[in-house]
Amino acid sequence: MTADNTKSTNAVTLDIDGLIATLTINRPEARNAMSIEILDGMHAAVDQVAKSDASVLVITGAGRAFSAGMDLKAVLIELSGDPDLGEALLTSLARLTLKIRDLRQVTVASVNGAAIGGGCGLTCVCDVTVSHADAKLGFPEVDLGICPAVIAPWVVKKLGAGVARKAMLMGGVMSGQEAFEIGLVDELADDQDGLAELADKIAQRLASGGPKALAATKHLLNELDGSLEEKMVLKGAKLSATVLATPEAQAALSARLKR
Amino acid sequence: MSTAPETTEQLINVELIDQVGVISLNRPDKRNAMVPAMLNQLNAAVLDTATKARALVLVGEGSVFCAGFDLKQCANDPSGELMRALLTGLSTCVRSMRAIEIPVVLGVRGAAVAGGCALLGGADVVIADEQAKLGYPVVKIGVSPAVSAAFMLASITPGAVRSRLLDTKLLSGIEAKKIGLVHETVDDPDSVRSRAIEIANTLAAKPGSGVRATKQWLNEICAPMSDRAQDGLDVSLGLTGSQEEQERLAALWG
Repeated sequence: MTADNTKSTNAVTLDIDGLIATLTINRPEARNAMSIEILDGMHAAVDQVAKSDASVLVITGAGRAFSAGMDLKAVLIELSGDPDLGEALLTSLARLTLKIRDLRQVTVASVNGAAIGGGCGLTCVCDVTVSHADAKLGFPEVDLGICPAVIAPWVVKKLGAGVARKAMLMGGVMSGQEAFEIGLVDELADDQDGLAELADKIAQRLASGGPKALAATKHLLNELDGSLEEKMVLKGAKLSATVLATPEAQAALSARLKR
Repeated sequence: MSTAPETTEQLINVELIDQVGVISLNRPDKRNAMVPAMLNQLNAAVLDTATKARALVLVGEGSVFCAGFDLKQCANDPSGELMRALLTGLSTCVRSMRAIEIPVVLGVRGAAVAGGCALLGGADVVIADEQAKLGYPVVKIGVSPAVSAAFMLASITPGAVRSRLLDTKLLSGIEAKKIGLVHETVDDPDSVRSRAIEIANTLAAKPGSGVRATKQWLNEICAPMSDRAQDGLDVSLGLTGSQEEQERLAALWG
């Protein structure tokens, strides 16, 4: 990353190198959990990419995690003291997923480590997901009494409804290898060291396509699968926030954070 | 149906094991072939279990989950009335499995053929033994599997739905897992029931708020597809009693 091409907030960095833009979620000490600060930084970075001449956007995480999902400290009311913060976060995530899907650029999620809950949902919004065999991916929301409603429409589009149903109702996490087997990951490196090279190779290959051809194809695919209809995703934010505020969910979250 | 002799028989078994309701098809000497009374009992049991348990398991007694409709009886009913009752009963069961708040785990031992395979459309998690046979070979008897199409489209990819409903080939458990019709396979057929109960226990132990909301939300996301279940049933019903169906059924059983 060269200083000249780097636009960043502290929490998110954006590097645009020719046709390839790289957005890095940069809160490794918090396993890149999505706080308001990170979501704001991602919105700004994606806006920047939309205006750029890049053909490809790679999204990855700094450190050992891709993103641990929603910032649990922010959505646990007894800690945040703000019952509305959960819905604000979820609505911001919902709008971010729509913004990423609507990008003219082809998007690649390079899953360097844990991609959990909303973090895993973010990978499903991207056009291509690459990872490595030892990464951890999954949707453990139900284990915490909450509902992955914002990302569910994207997971269904990525995996097909039946496999998505099993993955989201059973909860837990799976290895990169298992994620590859169910189609959550499209290409798999042997280990984390090999991932950067694989992601770069795929980004270069995607960037070799005609920008207009790529954009037209992506737009058609978005229209065919209803990606641009924002109603379900935004409704998902409301639903997820409602479930999140129930005593059962708050108790399960509290128990998890104290573990 | 009240005059049919089998209504007094118990064609399904229902058991509550801790927080899991286990329903099993109970006509093992007929490979659990479906008759209207079985489907009526199944639907009632599904709806009732949803009020008592936190997860539901559906399996079959004996070595075969379900061989589909009892075609021998259909072959002896030129009016098509029996076939209509079976198709309607099947569609009702699948819709109920999907609509109830609690998750449904279905375990296929041996085979899930035709109407038996259609029950998979209502399940949230499907397991099968590796050598189980699964498929919808009903066009060869002049019956349309359209009744299952909406549910299959809300489960596996549209390309896979097309080949599965039109091609009479049966898939093994392993092959069915590759197309997402089955989520997990076990190597020992004897362990299908216990593994299905184990998965259901895992689901039952999760906080209900998240599981209920997530199942309901997935149903809503898939509604554009599954809301067309009635259209599919109508297409299947439209062929009942046809000459083609009667000739082909008679050739099998007449």
